[in-house]
Amino acid sequence: MAAMIQARGLSKRFGSRTVLSDLNFSVERGQRLALLGLNGAGKTTLLRCVMGVLSFEGSIEVDGVDVASAGKQARSHIGYVPQRPPLFQMTLATMVEFFSTLRGIPSAAIAERLEALGLPLAETGEQDLRELSGGMLQKVLLAVALAGDPPVLLLDEPTASLDPRARGEFMRALREVSPETTVLLASHRLDEVEMVADRIWILHDGVRVFDGTLDDLRAKAGADRWLWVRTHEQQRDVVRDQFVRKAGEHAVVANGTQVAVQLSAAGRAEALAQLQRSGVPIEDFWVVGPSLEEIVQGFFTGEDS
Amino acid sequence: MIRASVVWGLVRRELGESLRSRWFVLYSGIFLVGALALTMFGLSSSEIYGYRGFAKVMAGLVHLALLFVPLMALFPATAAIAGEREIGSLEYLVSQPISFSELFWGKWLGVSLAVWLSLLLGFGLAGAVAVFNGTPWQLIATLLALTLLLAEAFVAIGLLCSILARTRARATSAGLVVWIVTIGLGTLGIMGAMLRWGLPRFVLTFWAFANPVEAFRLGVIASLDSDGSLLGPVGSAWMSSLGAGGVITLCLVFLVLWTLVPTALAWWQFRRPQAWSAV
Repeated sequence: MAAMIQARGLSKRFGSRTVLSDLNFSVERGQRLALLGLNGAGKTTLLRCVMGVLSFEGSIEVDGVDVASAGKQARSHIGYVPQRPPLFQMTLATMVEFFSTLRGIPSAAIAERLEALGLPLAETGEQDLRELSGGMLQKVLLAVALAGDPPVLLLDEPTASLDPRARGEFMRALREVSPETTVLLASHRLDEVEMVADRIWILHDGVRVFDGTLDDLRAKAGADRWLWVRTHEQQRDVVRDQFVRKAGEHAVVANGTQVAVQLSAAGRAEALAQLQRSGVPIEDFWVVGPSLEEIVQGFFTGEDS
Repeated sequence: MIRASVVWGLVRRELGESLRSRWFVLYSGIFLVGALALTMFGLSSSEIYGYRGFAKVMAGLVHLALLFVPLMALFPATAAIAGEREIGSLEYLVSQPISFSELFWGKWLGVSLAVWLSLLLGFGLAGAVAVFNGTPWQLIATLLALTLLLAEAFVAIGLLCSILARTRARATSAGLVVWIVTIGLGTLGIMGAMLRWGLPRFVLTFWAFANPVEAFRLGVIASLDSDGSLLGPVGSAWMSSLGAGGVITLCLVFLVLWTLVPTALAWWQFRRPQAWSAV
Protein backbone atom coordinates (compact mmCIF):
# COMPACT_ATOMS: atom_id res chain seq x y z
CA MET A 1 0.00 0.00 0.00
CA ALA A 2 1.17 3.52 -0.77
CA ALA A 3 2.09 5.78 2.14
CA MET A 4 -0.25 8.76 2.25
CA ILE A 5 1.61 10.45 5.09
CA GLN A 6 5.31 9.84 5.55
CA ALA A 7 7.38 11.47 8.30
CA ARG A 8 11.09 11.14 8.92
CA GLY A 9 12.88 12.49 11.97
CA LEU A 10 9.96 14.76 12.85
CA SER A 11 10.72 16.97 15.84
CA LYS A 12 9.08 20.14 17.06
CA ARG A 13 10.26 22.41 19.83
CA PHE A 14 8.62 25.47 21.32
CA GLY A 15 11.55 27.28 22.90
CA SER A 16 13.28 24.79 25.15
CA ARG A 17 10.23 22.49 25.32
CA THR A 18 10.27 19.49 23.00
CA VAL A 19 6.72 18.68 21.88
CA LEU A 20 7.50 16.08 19.22
CA SER A 21 10.68 14.08 19.34
CA ASP A 22 12.22 12.33 16.34
CA LEU A 23 9.06 10.65 15.00
CA ASN A 24 9.37 8.33 12.03
CA PHE A 25 6.15 6.94 10.64
CA SER A 26 4.02 6.28 7.61
CA VAL A 27 0.24 6.13 7.35
CA GLU A 28 -1.16 4.19 4.42
CA ARG A 29 -3.97 5.17 2.07
CA GLY A 30 -7.35 4.46 3.67
CA GLN A 31 -5.87 3.83 7.11
CA ARG A 32 -7.74 5.24 10.14
CA LEU A 33 -5.32 6.31 12.82
CA ALA A 34 -6.34 7.53 16.27
CA LEU A 35 -3.94 9.71 18.24
CA LEU A 36 -4.28 9.31 21.97
CA GLY A 37 -2.44 10.88 24.82
CA LEU A 38 -2.82 13.12 27.79
CA ASN A 39 -3.23 16.86 27.28
CA GLY A 40 0.02 18.35 26.00
CA ALA A 41 1.18 15.01 24.58
CA GLY A 42 1.69 16.56 21.14
CA LYS A 43 -1.44 15.40 19.25
CA THR A 44 -2.53 18.82 17.97
CA THR A 45 1.05 19.81 17.24
CA LEU A 46 1.48 16.66 15.14
CA LEU A 47 -1.65 17.49 13.13
CA ARG A 48 -0.44 21.07 12.63
CA CYS A 49 2.93 19.85 11.43
CA VAL A 50 1.22 17.50 8.96
CA MET A 51 -0.75 20.50 7.66
CA GLY A 52 2.48 22.46 7.37
CA VAL A 53 1.28 25.40 9.44
CA LEU A 54 4.06 24.90 11.98
CA SER A 55 7.73 24.78 11.13
CA PHE A 56 9.48 21.57 12.24
CA GLU A 57 12.68 19.58 12.00
CA GLY A 58 12.77 16.53 9.75
CA SER A 59 10.42 15.95 6.83
CA ILE A 60 6.76 15.16 6.20
CA GLU A 61 5.20 14.22 2.90
CA VAL A 62 1.45 14.19 2.31
CA ASP A 63 0.43 12.30 -0.84
CA GLY A 64 4.00 12.73 -2.06
CA VAL A 65 4.07 16.49 -1.47
CA ASP A 66 6.77 17.87 0.81
CA VAL A 67 4.92 19.79 3.52
CA ALA A 68 7.81 22.06 4.52
CA SER A 69 8.46 23.42 1.05
CA ALA A 70 4.92 23.23 -0.41
CA GLY A 71 2.58 23.62 2.55
CA LYS A 72 -0.20 25.19 0.52
CA GLN A 73 -0.14 22.37 -2.03
CA ALA A 74 -0.01 19.76 0.74
CA ARG A 75 -3.04 21.34 2.45
CA SER A 76 -5.01 20.99 -0.78
CA HIS A 77 -4.75 17.22 -0.14
CA ILE A 78 -6.06 17.62 3.41
CA GLY A 79 -9.48 18.23 4.93
CA TYR A 80 -9.46 19.46 8.51
CA VAL A 81 -12.03 19.70 11.30
CA PRO A 82 -10.83 21.58 14.40
CA GLN A 83 -11.74 21.03 18.01
CA ARG A 84 -13.68 24.27 18.36
CA PRO A 85 -15.86 25.43 15.47
CA PRO A 86 -14.82 28.92 14.36
CA LEU A 87 -17.59 31.51 14.63
CA PHE A 88 -17.57 33.09 11.20
CA GLN A 89 -19.88 36.08 10.81
CA MET A 90 -21.54 35.03 7.57
CA THR A 91 -24.40 32.99 6.20
CA LEU A 92 -23.93 29.36 5.29
CA ALA A 93 -24.30 30.21 1.57
CA THR A 94 -21.58 32.88 1.84
CA MET A 95 -19.35 30.45 3.70
CA VAL A 96 -19.75 27.89 0.93
CA GLU A 97 -18.72 30.50 -1.66
CA PHE A 98 -15.84 31.73 0.50
CA PHE A 99 -14.34 28.31 1.18
CA SER A 100 -14.82 27.11 -2.36
CA THR A 101 -12.64 30.08 -3.38
CA LEU A 102 -10.02 29.30 -0.73
CA ARG A 103 -9.94 25.59 -1.51
CA GLY A 104 -10.09 26.09 -5.26
CA ILE A 105 -13.09 23.79 -5.71
CA PRO A 106 -16.58 24.45 -7.12
CA SER A 107 -19.09 25.59 -4.50
CA ALA A 108 -21.36 22.77 -5.70
CA ALA A 109 -18.85 20.30 -4.23
CA ILE A 110 -19.40 21.73 -0.73
CA ALA A 111 -23.16 22.04 -1.32
CA GLU A 112 -23.34 18.33 -2.26
CA ARG A 113 -21.52 17.34 0.92
CA LEU A 114 -23.84 19.54 2.99
CA GLU A 115 -26.85 17.89 1.38
CA ALA A 116 -25.43 14.44 2.12
CA LEU A 117 -25.01 15.49 5.76
CA GLY A 118 -28.61 16.65 6.00
CA LEU A 119 -27.94 20.37 5.55
CA PRO A 120 -29.33 21.22 2.11
CA LEU A 121 -28.19 24.68 1.10
CA ALA A 122 -31.60 25.56 -0.31
CA GLU A 123 -33.05 25.35 3.22
CA THR A 124 -30.13 26.43 5.38
CA GLY A 125 -28.16 28.75 3.07
CA GLU A 126 -29.45 32.01 4.54
CA GLN A 127 -28.84 30.97 8.15
CA ASP A 128 -26.15 32.91 9.99
CA LEU A 129 -23.40 30.52 11.06
CA ARG A 130 -23.47 31.98 14.57
CA GLU A 131 -27.07 30.80 14.91
CA LEU A 132 -26.21 27.17 14.14
CA SER A 133 -25.69 24.67 16.95
CA GLY A 134 -22.20 23.39 17.67
CA GLY A 135 -23.11 20.02 16.15
CA MET A 136 -24.40 21.58 12.93
CA LEU A 137 -21.31 23.78 12.69
CA GLN A 138 -19.01 20.79 13.00
CA LYS A 139 -21.00 19.04 10.26
CA VAL A 140 -20.60 22.13 8.07
CA LEU A 141 -16.84 21.99 8.69
CA LEU A 142 -16.85 18.28 7.89
CA ALA A 143 -18.65 19.06 4.61
CA VAL A 144 -16.01 21.68 3.77
CA ALA A 145 -13.25 19.24 4.74
CA LEU A 146 -14.63 16.44 2.56
CA ALA A 147 -15.52 18.59 -0.46
CA GLY A 148 -13.20 17.94 -3.35
CA ASP A 149 -12.41 14.48 -1.92
CA PRO A 150 -9.04 15.20 -0.30
CA PRO A 151 -7.19 11.93 0.35
CA VAL A 152 -6.39 12.91 3.96
CA LEU A 153 -8.80 13.95 6.71
CA LEU A 154 -7.48 15.39 9.98
CA LEU A 155 -9.88 15.51 12.93
CA ASP A 156 -8.64 17.32 16.03
CA GLU A 157 -10.98 16.24 18.84
CA PRO A 158 -13.92 17.25 16.66
CA THR A 159 -16.59 16.38 19.22
CA ALA A 160 -14.87 17.82 22.29
CA SER A 161 -17.26 20.79 22.47
CA LEU A 162 -20.43 18.89 21.54
CA ASP A 163 -23.27 17.51 23.68
CA PRO A 164 -23.93 13.74 23.49
CA ARG A 165 -26.65 14.05 20.82
CA ALA A 166 -24.57 16.30 18.57
CA ARG A 167 -21.59 14.01 19.14
CA GLY A 168 -23.63 11.04 17.95
CA GLU A 169 -24.78 12.95 14.87
CA PHE A 170 -21.23 13.95 14.02
CA MET A 171 -19.95 10.42 14.40
CA ARG A 172 -22.74 9.15 12.13
CA ALA A 173 -21.77 11.87 9.65
CA LEU A 174 -18.28 10.42 9.53
CA ARG A 175 -19.80 7.48 7.61
CA GLU A 176 -19.72 9.83 4.62
CA VAL A 177 -15.94 9.53 4.63
CA SER A 178 -14.75 7.36 1.77
CA PRO A 179 -12.91 4.15 2.72
CA GLU A 180 -10.07 5.40 0.53
CA THR A 181 -9.58 8.44 2.77
CA THR A 182 -6.74 8.38 5.27
CA VAL A 183 -8.01 9.64 8.63
CA LEU A 184 -6.02 10.96 11.58
CA LEU A 185 -8.26 11.43 14.60
CA ALA A 186 -7.03 13.05 17.81
CA SER A 187 -9.49 12.08 20.50
CA HIS A 188 -10.09 11.52 24.19
CA ARG A 189 -13.13 9.31 23.63
CA LEU A 190 -12.94 5.54 23.42
CA ASP A 191 -16.28 5.16 21.61
CA GLU A 192 -15.06 7.45 18.84
CA VAL A 193 -11.77 5.64 18.56
CA GLU A 194 -13.61 2.30 18.42
CA MET A 195 -15.91 3.60 15.67
CA VAL A 196 -13.27 5.20 13.51
CA ALA A 197 -9.79 3.83 14.06
CA ASP A 198 -8.10 0.67 12.93
CA ARG A 199 -4.74 1.74 14.33
CA ILE A 200 -3.92 3.60 17.52
CA TRP A 201 -0.93 5.58 18.63
CA ILE A 202 -0.30 6.90 22.07
CA LEU A 203 1.85 9.97 22.28
CA HIS A 204 3.57 10.88 25.50
CA ASP A 205 5.84 13.89 25.84
CA GLY A 206 6.19 14.00 22.06
CA VAL A 207 7.25 10.36 21.75
CA ARG A 208 5.12 7.57 20.26
CA VAL A 209 4.92 5.03 23.06
CA PHE A 210 2.33 2.71 21.51
CA ASP A 211 1.41 1.69 17.96
CA GLY A 212 -1.20 -1.02 17.47
CA THR A 213 -4.89 -1.89 17.52
CA LEU A 214 -7.35 -1.15 20.31
CA ASP A 215 -7.28 -4.80 21.39
CA ASP A 216 -3.48 -4.66 21.54
CA LEU A 217 -3.79 -1.57 23.68
CA ARG A 218 -6.34 -3.12 26.03
CA ALA A 219 -4.17 -6.17 26.42
CA LYS A 220 -1.04 -4.12 26.99
CA ALA A 221 -2.71 -1.71 29.37
CA GLY A 222 -4.35 -4.55 31.27
CA ALA A 223 -7.47 -2.48 31.78
CA ASP A 224 -10.41 -4.88 32.24
CA ARG A 225 -14.04 -4.12 31.62
CA TRP A 226 -16.67 -3.73 34.31
CA LEU A 227 -19.43 -6.33 34.67
CA TRP A 228 -22.56 -4.70 36.13
CA VAL A 229 -25.29 -6.83 37.67
CA ARG A 230 -28.72 -5.71 38.90
CA THR A 231 -30.31 -7.94 41.50
CA HIS A 232 -32.91 -7.79 44.29
CA GLU A 233 -32.16 -5.39 47.10
CA GLN A 234 -31.78 -8.14 49.69
CA GLN A 235 -29.37 -10.07 47.43
CA ARG A 236 -27.08 -7.13 46.75
CA ASP A 237 -24.63 -7.88 49.56
CA VAL A 238 -24.45 -11.55 48.52
CA VAL A 239 -23.45 -10.52 45.00
CA ARG A 240 -21.01 -7.98 46.35
CA ASP A 241 -19.36 -10.53 48.66
CA GLN A 242 -18.95 -13.00 45.77
CA PHE A 243 -17.38 -10.31 43.58
CA VAL A 244 -15.03 -9.16 46.32
CA ARG A 245 -13.86 -12.76 46.90
CA LYS A 246 -13.19 -13.05 43.17
CA ALA A 247 -11.55 -9.72 42.36
CA GLY A 248 -10.78 -7.98 45.63
CA GLU A 249 -12.32 -4.96 47.37
CA HIS A 250 -10.61 -2.47 45.05
CA ALA A 251 -12.30 -3.93 41.93
CA VAL A 252 -15.90 -3.82 43.17
CA VAL A 253 -18.42 -0.99 43.40
CA ALA A 254 -22.08 -1.03 44.43
CA ASN A 255 -24.82 1.47 43.75
CA GLY A 256 -28.37 0.74 44.93
CA THR A 257 -29.35 -2.69 43.60
CA GLN A 258 -26.44 -2.66 41.13
CA VAL A 259 -23.03 -4.17 41.77
CA ALA A 260 -20.03 -4.02 39.43
CA VAL A 261 -16.76 -5.91 39.27
CA GLN A 262 -13.77 -5.25 37.05
CA LEU A 263 -12.57 -8.46 35.43
CA SER A 264 -11.14 -9.96 32.26
CA ALA A 265 -13.55 -11.50 29.72
CA ALA A 266 -13.03 -15.00 31.12
CA GLY A 267 -13.39 -13.71 34.67
CA ARG A 268 -16.68 -11.98 33.85
CA ALA A 269 -18.17 -15.18 32.33
CA GLU A 270 -17.07 -17.18 35.33
CA ALA A 271 -18.49 -14.63 37.79
CA LEU A 272 -21.89 -14.71 36.06
CA ALA A 273 -21.91 -18.51 36.02
CA GLN A 274 -21.02 -18.53 39.73
CA LEU A 275 -23.95 -16.24 40.54
CA GLN A 276 -26.31 -18.51 38.61
CA ARG A 277 -24.97 -21.62 40.36
CA SER A 278 -25.54 -20.02 43.75
CA GLY A 279 -29.15 -19.20 42.78
CA VAL A 280 -28.85 -15.42 43.03
CA PRO A 281 -31.60 -13.80 40.94
CA ILE A 282 -30.12 -11.59 38.21
CA GLU A 283 -32.53 -8.98 36.81
CA ASP A 284 -30.09 -7.58 34.26
CA PHE A 285 -26.39 -7.40 33.48
CA TRP A 286 -24.19 -5.38 31.14
CA VAL A 287 -20.54 -4.71 30.43
CA VAL A 288 -18.94 -1.30 30.46
CA GLY A 289 -15.50 -0.77 29.00
CA PRO A 290 -12.83 1.18 30.76
CA SER A 291 -12.59 4.81 29.70
CA LEU A 292 -9.85 5.84 27.37
CA GLU A 293 -8.26 7.69 30.25
CA GLU A 294 -8.23 4.45 32.28
CA ILE A 295 -6.68 2.55 29.38
CA VAL A 296 -4.06 5.21 28.70
CA GLN A 297 -3.40 5.60 32.40
CA GLY A 298 -3.21 1.81 32.73
CA PHE A 299 -0.83 1.75 29.81
CA PHE A 300 1.51 4.20 31.52
CA THR A 301 1.19 2.37 34.83
CA GLY A 302 2.11 -0.85 33.02
CA GLU A 303 5.07 0.83 31.37
CA ASP A 304 6.27 2.20 34.70
CA SER A 305 6.10 -1.17 36.37
CA MET B 1 2.73 32.44 -5.83
CA ILE B 2 -0.05 34.63 -4.50
CA ARG B 3 -3.43 33.85 -6.10
CA ALA B 4 -5.48 36.97 -6.77
CA SER B 5 -8.77 35.04 -6.50
CA VAL B 6 -7.93 33.91 -2.96
CA VAL B 7 -6.76 37.36 -1.85
CA TRP B 8 -9.88 38.91 -3.37
CA GLY B 9 -12.07 36.35 -1.58
CA LEU B 10 -10.44 37.31 1.73
CA VAL B 11 -10.73 41.03 0.91
CA ARG B 12 -14.44 40.71 0.16
CA ARG B 13 -15.05 38.93 3.43
CA GLU B 14 -13.07 41.54 5.38
CA LEU B 15 -14.94 44.34 3.65
CA GLY B 16 -18.28 42.72 4.36
CA GLU B 17 -17.46 42.25 8.04
CA SER B 18 -16.24 45.86 8.39
CA LEU B 19 -19.30 47.28 6.68
CA ARG B 20 -21.57 45.20 8.94
CA SER B 21 -19.78 46.42 12.07
CA ARG B 22 -21.93 48.90 13.99
CA TRP B 23 -18.90 50.82 15.23
CA PHE B 24 -17.53 51.20 11.74
CA VAL B 25 -20.84 52.49 10.41
CA LEU B 26 -21.17 54.84 13.40
CA TYR B 27 -17.82 56.59 13.13
CA SER B 28 -17.97 56.61 9.34
CA GLY B 29 -21.31 58.40 9.67
CA ILE B 30 -19.91 60.87 12.21
CA PHE B 31 -16.94 61.51 9.94
CA LEU B 32 -19.21 62.11 6.93
CA VAL B 33 -21.51 64.48 8.81
CA GLY B 34 -18.53 66.28 10.40
CA ALA B 35 -16.73 66.69 7.06
CA LEU B 36 -19.86 68.04 5.37
CA ALA B 37 -20.67 70.39 8.25
CA LEU B 38 -17.12 71.81 8.39
CA THR B 39 -17.10 72.28 4.62
CA MET B 40 -20.42 74.09 4.54
CA PHE B 41 -19.42 76.27 7.49
CA GLY B 42 -16.01 77.09 6.01
CA LEU B 43 -17.47 77.87 2.59
CA SER B 44 -19.94 80.31 4.07
CA SER B 45 -16.91 82.19 5.46
CA SER B 46 -15.16 82.13 2.08
CA GLU B 47 -17.76 84.46 0.69
CA ILE B 48 -16.41 87.03 3.12
CA TYR B 49 -12.74 86.13 3.31
CA GLY B 50 -12.04 84.69 -0.18
CA TYR B 51 -9.12 82.21 -0.28
CA ARG B 52 -8.73 82.30 3.47
CA GLY B 53 -12.20 80.74 3.64
CA PHE B 54 -10.93 77.72 1.70
CA ALA B 55 -8.05 77.59 4.14
CA LYS B 56 -10.61 77.48 6.91
CA VAL B 57 -12.37 74.57 5.21
CA MET B 58 -9.05 72.77 4.87
CA ALA B 59 -8.01 73.50 8.44
CA GLY B 60 -11.34 72.19 9.69
CA LEU B 61 -11.06 69.01 7.61
CA VAL B 62 -7.43 68.49 8.65
CA HIS B 63 -8.32 68.64 12.33
CA LEU B 64 -11.26 66.31 11.79
CA ALA B 65 -8.95 63.90 9.99
CA LEU B 66 -6.28 64.21 12.69
CA LEU B 67 -8.70 63.05 15.35
CA PHE B 68 -10.88 60.61 13.46
CA VAL B 69 -8.80 58.94 10.75
CA PRO B 70 -6.36 57.20 13.13
CA LEU B 71 -9.30 55.86 15.14
CA MET B 72 -11.20 54.81 12.03
CA ALA B 73 -8.16 52.84 10.90
CA LEU B 74 -7.08 51.50 14.29
CA PHE B 75 -10.41 50.00 15.35
CA PRO B 76 -10.91 47.57 12.44
CA ALA B 77 -7.17 46.89 12.10
CA THR B 78 -6.67 45.95 15.76
CA ALA B 79 -9.68 43.62 15.57
CA ALA B 80 -8.68 42.05 12.25
CA ILE B 81 -6.24 39.43 13.56
CA ALA B 82 -6.80 39.32 17.33
CA GLY B 83 -10.58 39.15 16.93
CA GLU B 84 -10.34 36.28 14.46
CA ARG B 85 -7.83 34.49 16.62
CA GLU B 86 -10.20 34.72 19.60
CA ILE B 87 -13.11 33.08 17.77
CA GLY B 88 -10.87 30.37 16.28
CA SER B 89 -11.46 31.38 12.67
CA LEU B 90 -7.87 32.44 12.00
CA GLU B 91 -6.51 29.02 12.87
CA TYR B 92 -9.11 27.44 10.61
CA LEU B 93 -8.19 29.78 7.75
CA VAL B 94 -4.50 28.95 8.17
CA SER B 95 -5.35 25.24 7.83
CA GLN B 96 -6.85 25.82 4.37
CA PRO B 97 -4.79 25.45 1.17
CA ILE B 98 -3.80 29.11 1.19
CA SER B 99 -0.45 30.66 2.00
CA PHE B 100 0.35 32.93 4.92
CA SER B 101 1.06 35.65 2.33
CA GLU B 102 -2.40 35.34 0.79
CA LEU B 103 -4.06 35.47 4.20
CA PHE B 104 -1.96 38.40 5.41
CA TRP B 105 -2.41 40.50 2.27
CA GLY B 106 -6.09 39.63 2.10
CA LYS B 107 -6.49 40.99 5.63
CA TRP B 108 -4.30 44.02 4.96
CA LEU B 109 -6.10 44.96 1.77
CA GLY B 110 -9.54 44.23 3.18
CA VAL B 111 -9.10 46.48 6.20
CA SER B 112 -7.41 49.16 4.09
CA LEU B 113 -10.18 49.17 1.50
CA ALA B 114 -12.90 49.35 4.16
CA VAL B 115 -11.22 52.36 5.79
CA TRP B 116 -10.48 53.98 2.43
CA LEU B 117 -14.10 53.54 1.31
CA SER B 118 -15.34 55.21 4.44
CA LEU B 119 -12.87 58.11 4.03
CA LEU B 120 -13.62 58.50 0.34
CA LEU B 121 -17.29 58.72 1.16
CA GLY B 122 -16.75 61.38 3.86
CA PHE B 123 -14.05 63.46 2.22
CA GLY B 124 -15.31 62.70 -1.26
CA LEU B 125 -18.72 64.24 -0.62
CA ALA B 126 -17.28 67.15 1.38
CA GLY B 127 -14.57 67.66 -1.26
CA ALA B 128 -17.11 67.61 -4.07
CA VAL B 129 -19.15 70.26 -2.28
CA ALA B 130 -16.01 72.36 -1.72
CA VAL B 131 -14.81 72.04 -5.33
CA PHE B 132 -18.29 72.81 -6.62
CA ASN B 133 -18.13 76.03 -4.58
CA GLY B 134 -14.79 77.10 -5.99
CA THR B 135 -12.15 75.46 -3.80
CA PRO B 136 -9.16 74.44 -5.98
CA TRP B 137 -9.47 70.68 -6.63
CA GLN B 138 -5.72 70.27 -6.17
CA LEU B 139 -6.09 71.19 -2.50
CA ILE B 140 -8.84 68.65 -1.97
CA ALA B 141 -6.90 65.99 -3.89
CA THR B 142 -3.78 66.61 -1.78
CA LEU B 143 -5.82 66.43 1.41
CA LEU B 144 -7.49 63.23 0.28
CA ALA B 145 -4.21 61.60 -0.77
CA LEU B 146 -2.49 62.47 2.51
CA THR B 147 -5.55 61.33 4.47
CA LEU B 148 -5.50 57.94 2.75
CA LEU B 149 -1.78 57.65 3.51
CA LEU B 150 -2.40 58.58 7.15
CA ALA B 151 -5.12 55.93 7.32
CA GLU B 152 -2.81 53.35 5.78
CA ALA B 153 -0.10 54.09 8.34
CA PHE B 154 -2.58 53.47 11.16
CA VAL B 155 -3.95 50.35 9.48
CA ALA B 156 -0.39 49.00 9.48
CA ILE B 157 0.17 49.99 13.12
CA GLY B 158 -3.21 48.51 14.08
CA LEU B 159 -2.47 45.21 12.34
CA LEU B 160 0.87 44.98 14.12
CA CYS B 161 -0.89 45.56 17.48
CA SER B 162 -3.47 42.94 16.50
CA ILE B 163 -0.81 40.35 15.72
CA LEU B 164 1.27 41.02 18.84
CA ALA B 165 -1.58 41.27 21.37
CA ARG B 166 -3.00 38.05 22.81
CA THR B 167 -6.60 39.26 22.93
CA ARG B 168 -8.79 41.62 20.96
CA ALA B 169 -9.31 43.80 24.05
CA ARG B 170 -5.54 44.18 24.48
CA ALA B 171 -5.09 44.95 20.79
CA THR B 172 -7.78 47.65 20.95
CA SER B 173 -6.24 49.09 24.12
CA ALA B 174 -2.84 49.18 22.42
CA GLY B 175 -4.44 50.96 19.47
CA LEU B 176 -5.98 53.56 21.78
CA VAL B 177 -2.61 54.12 23.47
CA VAL B 178 -1.03 54.65 20.02
CA TRP B 179 -3.79 57.13 19.18
CA ILE B 180 -3.38 59.08 22.42
CA VAL B 181 0.41 59.13 22.13
CA THR B 182 0.43 60.28 18.49
CA ILE B 183 -2.17 62.96 19.17
CA GLY B 184 -0.47 64.00 22.42
CA LEU B 185 2.98 64.13 20.84
CA GLY B 186 1.73 66.44 18.12
CA THR B 187 1.71 70.21 18.35
CA LEU B 188 1.12 70.20 22.09
CA GLY B 189 4.02 67.83 22.68
CA ILE B 190 6.38 69.91 20.56
CA MET B 191 5.39 73.11 22.28
CA GLY B 192 5.77 71.50 25.70
CA ALA B 193 9.18 70.05 24.80
CA MET B 194 10.40 73.40 23.52
CA LEU B 195 9.29 75.15 26.68
CA ARG B 196 10.50 72.48 29.09
CA TRP B 197 13.80 71.33 27.58
CA GLY B 198 14.59 73.80 24.84
CA LEU B 199 15.39 70.92 22.46
CA PRO B 200 17.49 71.68 19.36
CA ARG B 201 15.69 72.25 16.09
CA PHE B 202 16.70 68.98 14.42
CA VAL B 203 15.22 66.97 17.33
CA LEU B 204 11.98 68.90 17.09
CA THR B 205 11.97 68.48 13.32
CA PHE B 206 12.46 64.74 13.62
CA TRP B 207 9.84 64.61 16.40
CA ALA B 208 7.33 66.38 14.15
CA PHE B 209 7.93 64.31 11.04
CA ALA B 210 8.38 61.02 12.86
CA ASN B 211 4.86 61.26 14.24
CA PRO B 212 2.45 60.17 11.47
CA VAL B 213 -0.29 62.49 12.68
CA GLU B 214 2.06 65.46 12.73
CA ALA B 215 3.61 64.50 9.38
CA PHE B 216 0.12 64.49 7.90
CA ARG B 217 -0.70 67.89 9.41
CA LEU B 218 2.54 69.43 8.18
CA GLY B 219 2.07 67.98 4.71
CA VAL B 220 -1.45 69.31 4.30
CA ILE B 221 -0.66 72.75 5.68
CA ALA B 222 2.50 73.02 3.57
CA SER B 223 0.44 72.29 0.47
CA LEU B 224 -2.09 74.91 1.49
CA ASP B 225 0.10 77.65 2.87
CA SER B 226 3.19 78.31 0.76
CA ASP B 227 4.86 80.70 3.26
CA GLY B 228 4.35 78.38 6.22
CA SER B 229 2.83 81.05 8.42
CA LEU B 230 0.14 78.60 9.60
CA LEU B 231 2.89 76.31 10.86
CA GLY B 232 4.25 78.90 13.27
CA PRO B 233 7.84 80.16 13.48
CA VAL B 234 9.43 76.68 13.35
CA GLY B 235 7.27 75.72 10.39
CA SER B 236 8.16 78.92 8.61
CA ALA B 237 11.83 78.15 9.11
CA TRP B 238 11.37 74.63 7.62
CA MET B 239 9.45 76.06 4.72
CA SER B 240 12.18 78.62 4.05
CA SER B 241 14.95 76.01 4.20
CA LEU B 242 13.18 73.02 2.53
CA GLY B 243 10.52 74.76 0.49
CA ALA B 244 6.88 73.59 0.40
CA GLY B 245 7.83 70.75 -1.96
CA GLY B 246 10.57 69.57 0.39
CA VAL B 247 8.28 69.60 3.43
CA ILE B 248 5.55 67.72 1.56
CA THR B 249 8.07 65.17 0.26
CA LEU B 250 9.44 64.63 3.76
CA CYS B 251 5.91 64.17 5.08
CA LEU B 252 5.13 61.66 2.35
CA VAL B 253 8.35 59.75 3.04
CA PHE B 254 7.56 59.48 6.75
CA LEU B 255 3.94 58.49 6.14
CA VAL B 256 5.06 55.79 3.70
CA LEU B 257 7.69 54.62 6.21
CA TRP B 258 4.99 54.50 8.91
CA THR B 259 3.08 52.17 6.59
CA LEU B 260 5.97 50.02 5.40
CA VAL B 261 7.81 49.42 8.67
CA PRO B 262 4.81 48.25 10.76
CA THR B 263 3.54 46.21 7.79
CA ALA B 264 6.92 44.50 7.46
CA LEU B 265 7.01 43.81 11.21
CA ALA B 266 3.43 42.53 11.14
CA TRP B 267 4.23 40.26 8.19
CA TRP B 268 7.30 38.93 9.98
CA GLN B 269 5.35 38.24 13.18
CA PHE B 270 2.30 36.78 11.44
CA ARG B 271 3.95 33.39 10.81
CA ARG B 272 4.52 32.77 14.51
CA PRO B 273 2.02 30.20 15.85
CA GLN B 274 1.11 32.66 18.61
CA ALA B 275 -0.17 35.05 15.94
CA TRP B 276 -2.84 32.73 14.57
CA SER B 277 -3.38 29.99 17.13
CA ALA B 278 -6.03 30.44 19.79
CA VAL B 279 -4.38 27.83 22.02
